Amino acid sequence: MTEPSERPGTPTVFHERRTYRLRRIMDAARVAPALALVLWMLPMLWPQTGEDTVSSATALIYIFVVWAGIILLTWGLSRSLDDPSDTDT
Amino acid sequence: MSTLNLLVLVSTFYVLFLFLVAFVADRLALQGKKAWLRSPLIYTLSLSIYCTAWTFYGAVGSAARNGFEYLTIYLGPTLVMVSWWWLVRKLVRIGRTQKITSIADLISSRYGKSSLLAAGVTILAVIGTTPYIALQLQSVTLSFSVFAAEADGSVAQDQGSMALWLSLGLALFTVLFGTRNLDAKEKHDGVVMAIAVEAVVKLVALLSVGIFVVWGVSGGLSEALSQIDASEFGQWHTDRSRWAGLIFLSAAAFLCLPRTFQVLVVENDDESHLRTAAWAFPLYLCLISLFVVPIAVVGLDIMPDGSNPDLFVLTVPLALGENGLAMLSFLGGFSSATSMVIVAAIALSTMVSNHIVMPIWLQLRPSGASVSGDVRAAVLMARRISIVGVVMLGYLYFRLSSGGEALASIGLVAFCGLAQVLPAMLGGMFWRGATRLGAFAGLTIGFGTWLYTLYLPSFGAGTILPLTIIEDGLFGLTWLKPDALFGITGLDQLMHALLWSMLFNVTAFVTVSLLTFPSPLERLQAAQFVNIFEHSTNTRSWSGGHAQTEDLMVMAQRILGAAEAQALFSRYAAKQGARGELPDPSPDFLEVLERELGSSVGAATAHAMVGQITGGMSVSVEDLMAVADETAQMLEYSARLKEQSEELSRTALELRNANQKLTRLSIQKDAFLSQISHELRTPMTSIRAFSEILRDTDQMEPEDQSRYASIIHDEAQRLTRLLDDLLDLSVVENGQVNLNLRDGTLRAVLDRAVASAAIGEDGVKLEIERDLDREEIPLHTDLDRLAQVFINLIANARKYCDANAPRLAIRVMQEADRVVIDFQDNGTGIAPEAVDMIFEKFARVSDQKAGGAGLGLAICRQVMTRLGGSVDYVPAARGANFRVVLPYRTAMAAQ
Repeated sequence: MTEPSERPGTPTVFHERRTYRLRRIMDAARVAPALALVLWMLPMLWPQTGEDTVSSATALIYIFVVWAGIILLTWGLSRSLDDPSDTDT
Repeated sequence: MSTLNLLVLVSTFYVLFLFLVAFVADRLALQGKKAWLRSPLIYTLSLSIYCTAWTFYGAVGSAARNGFEYLTIYLGPTLVMVSWWWLVRKLVRIGRTQKITSIADLISSRYGKSSLLAAGVTILAVIGTTPYIALQLQSVTLSFSVFAAEADGSVAQDQGSMALWLSLGLALFTVLFGTRNLDAKEKHDGVVMAIAVEAVVKLVALLSVGIFVVWGVSGGLSEALSQIDASEFGQWHTDRSRWAGLIFLSAAAFLCLPRTFQVLVVENDDESHLRTAAWAFPLYLCLISLFVVPIAVVGLDIMPDGSNPDLFVLTVPLALGENGLAMLSFLGGFSSATSMVIVAAIALSTMVSNHIVMPIWLQLRPSGASVSGDVRAAVLMARRISIVGVVMLGYLYFRLSSGGEALASIGLVAFCGLAQVLPAMLGGMFWRGATRLGAFAGLTIGFGTWLYTLYLPSFGAGTILPLTIIEDGLFGLTWLKPDALFGITGLDQLMHALLWSMLFNVTAFVTVSLLTFPSPLERLQAAQFVNIFEHSTNTRSWSGGHAQTEDLMVMAQRILGAAEAQALFSRYAAKQGARGELPDPSPDFLEVLERELGSSVGAATAHAMVGQITGGMSVSVEDLMAVADETAQMLEYSARLKEQSEELSRTALELRNANQKLTRLSIQKDAFLSQISHELRTPMTSIRAFSEILRDTDQMEPEDQSRYASIIHDEAQRLTRLLDDLLDLSVVENGQVNLNLRDGTLRAVLDRAVASAAIGEDGVKLEIERDLDREEIPLHTDLDRLAQVFINLIANARKYCDANAPRLAIRVMQEADRVVIDFQDNGTGIAPEAVDMIFEKFARVSDQKAGGAGLGLAICRQVMTRLGGSVDYVPAARGANFRVVLPYRTAMAAQ
């Protein structure tokens, strides 16, 4: 980043809109795995006995939809995080 | 041609094809055409080394037995890759910046380059990986036997020899392409390319079988889904602890397995590839696991009871007469197995040779480590032997375990063992307080727990662990039973081992880390690792802009020899069209230079050297410490040299001054000799002349006679006085004078001196200023000698003071322990260059005023020294100023 506020040694509290956005995208990239983990842990709460058990096909579809979702999300985030080397602070 | 022969032929061609791919890729890399060899796509595909034959065949088997549990093996790595931004990127950055060559190297490097830790992790890796290699060999022989059974209805008898040939082939491939060049970065372009090709084969094979099963057998997606629902695992049912535990385990294994670490971190060529791999590798895993359940369901449906579900991927197409598809499927499994063995062998051999063989070899060599070509050759040889050793160990394990069912479960057991590295690894990356002892404690206790609760029991009760221990616990303590530590039962054995080993591991790691204090090297490495993004930039190649070609030249001359280095530099300068002898430090020149240096001192050293000069890499702490040591020594040495040279120049200055003084004295002496001969000769001449007149002249007038006689008398007296002075000086100098100590006052002595000096005064009268009151100081000394000194000083003033109205001020100052008498006239004083000469014998300030023999002041000084005082010339504002100092002792004694 070449904004004046991003010069090393002068940490600033407020950033330009673009920088601010970039930082939130980084946050999202950090949180994304936690989201995937939670979603994939949900099947542990599904009832395993009795009438209302989840059918295997539904479970399979659920897991793969989450999978596809997290792949798309990561793809989008990684595209936004253009040059990872300079932006992390 | 039978299916079996066809299979052998296809496999052989496939292997040859892989050799070709690896060979071409290596050649291209040597020519510098790395652009597409090292693309994000290749990187992503190479990560598929995680999916071995165990996952290729075993996933379907696992799905057939345990339902959806197989998914966890893929979900874990997906989570890791999705965490690329904060986890994998940091790991890769550390690996690239610190030139990490293996996971053992990472741990050792983080914890102060501890060789003990490195060796420990290496052993752990070997123990964890060997059964895994055996598993690959088993899967290939099993899949072969399926075709054999299909062909002639019999099971192939010589599975062992087949496994042997396979191992030998794999070892050959790995030695050929894995140790081709000893690169500091441990990058293997050919191998990575081959792995990428195999990754495509794996995926295509599994997808083909899946598509065939879903659309060819089940008749469409919805039909396949309803078939799943109708099958025996139609309801969601899974062990909850295993679901969570296995996701964790596979995630940990993805980071810690030597082979995945190799491709993920060590072979990474460009950090930005992670941006692609972060979503592309999860996609790969997703696709690989997409059709596992349908294949399992169809397999359970159409295959006879009791058939091995692990081989459904192969047997289902075969059973349905799809031989081509089965062949493809076989190649997929074959690819998975071979690529795993190759990369695992490379990763393990790096670790074994770097952390076990080389340290021992260097220890055993009597001369120690000399940095030259022979070390390089030894490293390569150690690498090769380690590769063959690791593969053969896998083969041995396969033969000893007789390829039984025990092998099938070994995959997760190995995962659990290698996951013990995770706390030390993550702790090292994110916690600066993690210490070497902490890591060591955690690893040891975690590894021990894993061995006791999982690894040893996995060989079967009574094989290694005696039955008594398994049934009654260690030492008969039931709370030490391997499968129920602390009496906690009901847990799956794997989860039980995972829980306790990780719990002990993390607890020991954190506790010991908190209690111990790290070494300086550890603390520096800790800061480097944890704050890696502040300490590094994403350098892709040498940034030559800052390089100092002169420095490089100096270094190269030292290593290569002057002539060779100059030839290399000027050759490249000519190539670049640069003027003069020195080329620009362009990246390709730096690479060439590094290679040249590497052939002399080894690649890693050369890289570090070039890196230090160009500043293209962060220098490791050890390098800095070594440099600092050397610098300190040199500083100390140069300080000593400086001191010595200063001392020498001081001495030289003194000698020069002394020499000048001697030269002047010599001149003075010559002048004096001529003067004294003149002085002696003049009275002698007149004495002789007048005595001759007296002798030869008859009838001389009486008054003439008397006048001539008195002239002779005067001249004789003058001679006597001169000789007296000379005698007096020599007497005083030799200390033979007897002091005649008497009481008196300074005033009386001065009175006498002034009166004596005034005798014979002619021409301009010298006016003398005195303060008579202050001169009333009692003395007890040789008053005559003191008066002699004063007379001399006053006479000198009269003789040499060149003022129109000459005046001499005699000032007396009484101080605490001495009496100071200053004789200051108002003339021009004594020239500075003559000052240090005036007290010498025969010294005279100027020839034209020569009134004496130049002995007066010399006598004065000798006399004052004898009296315990001194006489000195003190520079004054104007005029000559002589200072006589009498010790107070002399003055007091009179009281």
